[in-house]
Amino acid sequence: MDEQLRTLDTAQATHSEKSKLGGSGSLWRMSAIARNAFREAVRDRVLYNLVLFVLLLTAASIFIGELSGGQERKIIVDLGLSAMLLFGMFIAIFVGVGLVYKEIERRTIYAVFSKPVGRGEFLVGKYLGLCLTLVVNVLVMGVGVSLALLYISRGWDPLIPTIWPAVLLIYLELMLLTAVALLFSSFSSPALSALLTFLVFVIGHFSADLKGLASSLGSTGARWFFTGLYYLLPNLSNYSFITPAAHGRTPDAGFVLVTALYAFVYIAVILAAATLIFSRRNFK
Amino acid sequence: MNNERLKSITLGLVILVGIASAALLVRWTDTLRPPVDPNAIDESLYLNDKTARRMSLGFNGLAADWYWMRSLQYVGKKLINSTGDISLDDLSGLNMKLLAQLLDTATTLDPEFTEPYEYAAVVLPAIDVQQAIRLTQKGINANPNAWRLYHHLGYIYWRQGQYQLASETYSRGAQIPGAPAWMEAMKAKLLSEGGSRSTAREIYTRMYEQSGDEQVKQMARKHLMRLDSLDQRDGLRKALAAYQARTGKCPESWRELGPIFRAVQIPMDQSGAPLDPSGAPYLLKAGACEVELDSKTTKVPLK
Repeated sequence: MDEQLRTLDTAQATHSEKSKLGGSGSLWRMSAIARNAFREAVRDRVLYNLVLFVLLLTAASIFIGELSGGQERKIIVDLGLSAMLLFGMFIAIFVGVGLVYKEIERRTIYAVFSKPVGRGEFLVGKYLGLCLTLVVNVLVMGVGVSLALLYISRGWDPLIPTIWPAVLLIYLELMLLTAVALLFSSFSSPALSALLTFLVFVIGHFSADLKGLASSLGSTGARWFFTGLYYLLPNLSNYSFITPAAHGRTPDAGFVLVTALYAFVYIAVILAAATLIFSRRNFK
Repeated sequence: MNNERLKSITLGLVILVGIASAALLVRWTDTLRPPVDPNAIDESLYLNDKTARRMSLGFNGLAADWYWMRSLQYVGKKLINSTGDISLDDLSGLNMKLLAQLLDTATTLDPEFTEPYEYAAVVLPAIDVQQAIRLTQKGINANPNAWRLYHHLGYIYWRQGQYQLASETYSRGAQIPGAPAWMEAMKAKLLSEGGSRSTAREIYTRMYEQSGDEQVKQMARKHLMRLDSLDQRDGLRKALAAYQARTGKCPESWRELGPIFRAVQIPMDQSGAPLDPSGAPYLLKAGACEVELDSKTTKVPLK
């Protein structure tokens, strides 16, 4: 907490000097909060999940050959990228829902807001901090999967470069989930926020079914409702490229670009909604 | 402080002894439970393939891998529990009613995963040929450029004696870019000499070369050994017939044919008996001028 305030003070002082040169104060404050949120996640041993991941991959690399009938490369990619998504999802949900709640619970939020920090800046800063944690997590895991492939193939493996677009898509999905977790945590308890975020993850992967359901219904009202849900809820199935990556297939650059654009637009909407709710919240 | 330490040690001991006791109790209850025939009872799948795909969220590739490994273990367990020498392509007696469903689920979860289709093409025909054809056809529909699946579908038709269909399947596979030239040659070979030994040798040789699955390779290797042995036995019969024509009687032992075997470089054991492709000596049916595999020692499939 003290560290967060010190960081904010430093950011403020630096900003005062920078603003004379035309620098953006808001960005400085958000980056100070983000750095602090990242440090807090590291201190909370969030990155310890990497140890579990490494153990899982090491065990799989050694033993999977016995069980897979010659399919160990595919299984390592499936297992590694699925674990990346699963662990990332848990971090996004369980750390994401606590980002704001912990500050309110410990009453440190009063000290933060006694500084010239906007509520939106605080939320976006916290969000970027967790995204930074996730990027470290995802990158280390991606390197882990590549090393496991090198070990299995006893040298260079053509699957190594093909997993990285899938890793990028997983990261975009995790960014989306983090924003959803933050939105729920801006007005709800951590347990309920975690549950709701998990449900969004599940429904987000059922989006194709929602569309199918909408087109198969006879009632116009129901059709509109499910079509509305299809467009309203995040379409997470677009980010599932693990299975094709395990077959050496990579998505088109255009596809990645559009899905990235979709993620950024959706994140902007969610963070705006979260800020709107959070700025009306009474902490008394 | 000492008290605290004693408390920690006691609790630690309780945990260790408790876990060990629980494990022993489980073992005890296992021995008390009436034994079940592993071939008579099959667990059933909780989910059908389409539900499994929906439930897998973004983890369908991993779920497909799990069903694939489960299929291999399912076959492996049945083979371990069986008695006698059973070939991978003749598992009809092992009550494999779940295998098609497991492979179907694996391929619905990951339609590009070609190994389960290939495995189905080799293992399923003896159990349920229609399922084998349906699964391989499903693989072709999902992976129209996988020429190996055409090879496997042709193999199923060939095993059924449907040489015309097999030839047409090889012909379609041969048109796929990247398909090897022998696919086109197989088309003609199946039409002209579908049931011949040389066609069988060609099919199993290609299967051995192309498969990534060790079990399939081993099955193909055994069939090739059997084909080699059939050729060898034909040669030995000719030698026996020539001996009989020359001497007017059948040989009492292989040793009498030793000079001929040495001349044509047939491998022999110390007693002078010719060796089959697995290294076991052939049996001579003295008086009948007939040669046969020694079912006790040979690793060559008898049928």
